Formats: sequence, C-alpha cells, structure tokens
Amino acid sequence: MTPMPRAVNKRGPNVRGSTPPRWRRLAINVFIVAHIFIVSCWAIPISSSWRLAVRNFVTPYMRWTGLFQAWDMFSPVPKNANSYVEAIIHYQDGNTRTWAFPRMSHLDVWERYSKERYRKYGDLLEVTPALWPDAALFAARQNNNRAVPIKTVFLVRYCAPIALQGEVAQRSESCDDDVLYSRPIHAGDLK
Amino acid sequence: MSRKGLSAHWNEFFFAPRSPLPIALFRILYGALVCATVLLLRRDWLVWYGPYGLISPETMSQMEPGVRINIFHLLPSGDAWIEAVFWVLLGSAICLCAGFLTRISSVVVFVCLTSLNERNLIITHSGDTFLRVTGFFLMFAPAGACLSVDHLIRVRARKEGRVPKPRAPWAQRMIQFELSLLYFTAAYSKALGEPWLSGAALYYIYHLEDLRRFPLPQWFYNPTVLALGGWGAMILEFTLGTLIWIRAIRYYILAAGLMLHLVLEYSLNIPLFQWEVLSAYVLFIDPRDLMRVMARARLLVKERLFRSPRTTHSRLPAMRSRGPSRKTSNHP
Repeated sequence: MTPMPRAVNKRGPNVRGSTPPRWRRLAINVFIVAHIFIVSCWAIPISSSWRLAVRNFVTPYMRWTGLFQAWDMFSPVPKNANSYVEAIIHYQDGNTRTWAFPRMSHLDVWERYSKERYRKYGDLLEVTPALWPDAALFAARQNNNRAVPIKTVFLVRYCAPIALQGEVAQRSESCDDDVLYSRPIHAGDLK
Repeated sequence: MSRKGLSAHWNEFFFAPRSPLPIALFRILYGALVCATVLLLRRDWLVWYGPYGLISPETMSQMEPGVRINIFHLLPSGDAWIEAVFWVLLGSAICLCAGFLTRISSVVVFVCLTSLNERNLIITHSGDTFLRVTGFFLMFAPAGACLSVDHLIRVRARKEGRVPKPRAPWAQRMIQFELSLLYFTAAYSKALGEPWLSGAALYYIYHLEDLRRFPLPQWFYNPTVLALGGWGAMILEFTLGTLIWIRAIRYYILAAGLMLHLVLEYSLNIPLFQWEVLSAYVLFIDPRDLMRVMARARLLVKERLFRSPRTTHSRLPAMRSRGPSRKTSNHP
C-alpha cells in the first residue's frame, strides 16, 4: 500500500523572494528614516542646538522603546585613578567592621569576569550620591549577623591617581580618601 | 544621482530579497550571548534586581524617570518573581537560539532584557546596550527563516522548501547601521577627549587595576606603544564606522576589527562586550561565503565525529585521497 501523500500548500513551496506590499513598504520606509535620524541625533555627541532640540523631543520615545544608547566607551576622558569604596560598620557596643564590595584586583580571572558588574557599580557609586543610602543599607544587611545591633554605616572612598610616566601623582578633590556618606541604622531598616 | 536612481538604490538596499542566512546566524549568536549574560549575572541576581539589593526600585525610578518597558513594575514584590524573570529570559533566549517560536521568543527576550536594563541602569555596560538596541530590530527580522526549528516545521508541513526563500533585509540593515553607528560614535567621542588626542588615554586605561585581565608583556605598557595603540584604535573605529559599507574592502576591515576585539578581550576585563559586537559582523558577510564556511565546517565536524568508513567513503569524496580512511573502508 502506497502511503498517502501529505497535504501540500496549494501554491507549492515558495522559493521566490518576497518583498513587502506597497503600503507596508511605505510604512517601513517611514520607520527606517525616522529611526536612522533620531538614533543618530541621540547617539552622536555633536554640540548643536538643533540636535539637542531633537534629542529632547524624542527622549520619551527613546526611553519607552529602550533605544536610548551611548557609545562613549572610555571617552572623552577615561578614568585616571584607581579607587574603590568600602563600608565601615559601627556596632552599638563600639566595635567596627570593614566590609568591601568585591574588588576585581582581588579576584581570580573567572570570578573577575562574573563579578565585573561590581566594578561598574563601584565607579558610579563614588560619584552618584543618590546611590549611597541603598548601598549603606545593603552593607548593614550583609553585616547584621551579630547579637549587637548596628549603629551607623559609613561609606568611605579610597583613591590613588595614576601618574603618567615622568610625572608625580597629584591628589585632587575629585580623587581623595574621603567619607562619602554616613547613615544611622534603626531596627526597622533591616527588615 | 537622480531621485529615481536614489530611490532604486534605497529599495535595492533595504527591500531587495536576500538570503536570511546572516540574520539567522546572528540570531543564534545573539541568543547564546543573552544566555551567557544572564548566567553570568545569576549568582548576584537578587543583589542587582531584588527589592533588597544594592539599588532599590524606588531609587532607580527617581534617577531614571519616565515611562519605560519594565516588567518589574508590573510584578508583585518578592524574590520569587524576580527569579521567575531569570528563568523566562533564559528559556526564551534558548528558544531564540534554536529558532523555536522565533518571533515570540525575540519579543520576550527584548522585553525581559530591556526590563533588566531599566531595573538597574547603573550596572549596564555598552554590551548590554548593544544587545538591547539590536534586540529591538531583531524582533522585526526574518530571523527564524532558516537554521531554525521553525523552518524545519515549515518544511515538514510542506509550507516551504528546504532552501529558505530570500527576504527583505531592512531589519538586518538597521542592525548593521547600529554597529556602524557604535564605531563611528566611539571614534567621534574619543576625538573630543584631550587624553585620546595626546595619546595618554590607553596609559590610564591599562593602569586601572580593576580592568586588567590576563598578563601582558612589559613593552605593552610603554607610553609610546600605548599612545600608538590609542590612535590606532580611534582610526580603526572610524574606519569600521564608515568604510565597512564598501564591499571591496569590507573583509579586510572586519579582520582588523576582529583583531582589535580579540586584543581587548584578552587584555581588559569587560565581560562579553567584544563577543556581542563581533556577533554582528556576520551580518556583513556575504551569504554565499557564509554557506561555503558552514559547508566546510560541517565536513570537518562529520570527519571528526562520525569517522565510520561508510560516511568517509560515500559522503566525503574529497577525503578519499587520505590513505587510512580509504584503507579501512569496507566498500570498494
């Protein structure tokens, strides 16, 4: 008994190329032109008033679609100091403990690869005060494992400028060891 | 060029049907890179995205206001829901890689990936941004037209032939445009910075302890070498952003770009970024060349994995001249 042939699409396998119909192509053209224009205006950092105006106009759309983008990798001025932030936890009994975010230079090659987000976070933590309360609270939660409650958390930044060959490293206000933030911790904070 | 000529070129560039092989290959690489990204984040998932993590949802909303794609806003609070996003994203990225329910998978991947970025923009690097913006255009592309489970299903149902039909490549062009823009903007931004122009930029970058990866020879840290490297990188980025569109020299430029990214991958600890950018290079390769490479790779794999005499004899006639396989063959 010969097997029944399987149903075949009436038009047969379509091996010819397909182009969108006319009305659809028009819509796609509008989409393409608009996106090339607004994405370019958004991404290329030309300092002109019309570009800023376009950028401001399209900001809600770029945010909503997730198309916002910046390709300023290590530019225009790369970071020129080795720095990191640590949390110092003061307990009610007067004891202190230092707690550090993972530092890439202290990790092995694989750990460094998987924990690299901490480097990115640390770089921004130093210069973004809005992040400090959450960071202090997180450090408190990580160290809330003693019978004695935590009194205060300090965020401290350590910084060493990189000197070009033949130059002397100079500390500046933007690269100095400094207490960034302190936060008293209440029992309710650590729930 | 006349308006008609321009219009014809435009239509040819964006709409003339072409093989979907490059975009399908990009889809596979893209899906694999999304999987790698979320797996690398796995151990610290709740630290970055949980309600009691390093950045609370409220802080993020204050820092980056506006209406955004962020499913975390819609989910009930609780670690289980945050964990669920991980599994949904990983599952849909695997489906995208395999080309199963490709369109739906690409939408789910884009929404989840964008939500992760929006939930914690602080830890988002350029590689994440590249995945996000290319993911947007990938949703519109015929990414499941070949090398996919979807295509196999269509072939079995006789809705399509084994050879995938050519498609309008406009969405692929937009991803190519994004790659080109990335390079051009990177070069332009560098040209605005004094350290890049003076040649000091790479000196600073390679002396950042937290960025180091594998050891480098001492001569590499010589300021002159680093200055030349910095200027070379700027020129190459500009070239990749502009001349990549010229077919005659494209492969040379892509080869130079590949070298640049491999050096960066070896020397700097920037997870996955180089691979994410390199994945889009396949979109610039002629589909016929891709097929040639794939056929050769297939032969090699078959030769290595299935060394049965029958396969050697009947499927690999080019290998006949190799003594051992012919001698061991049972077939004349």
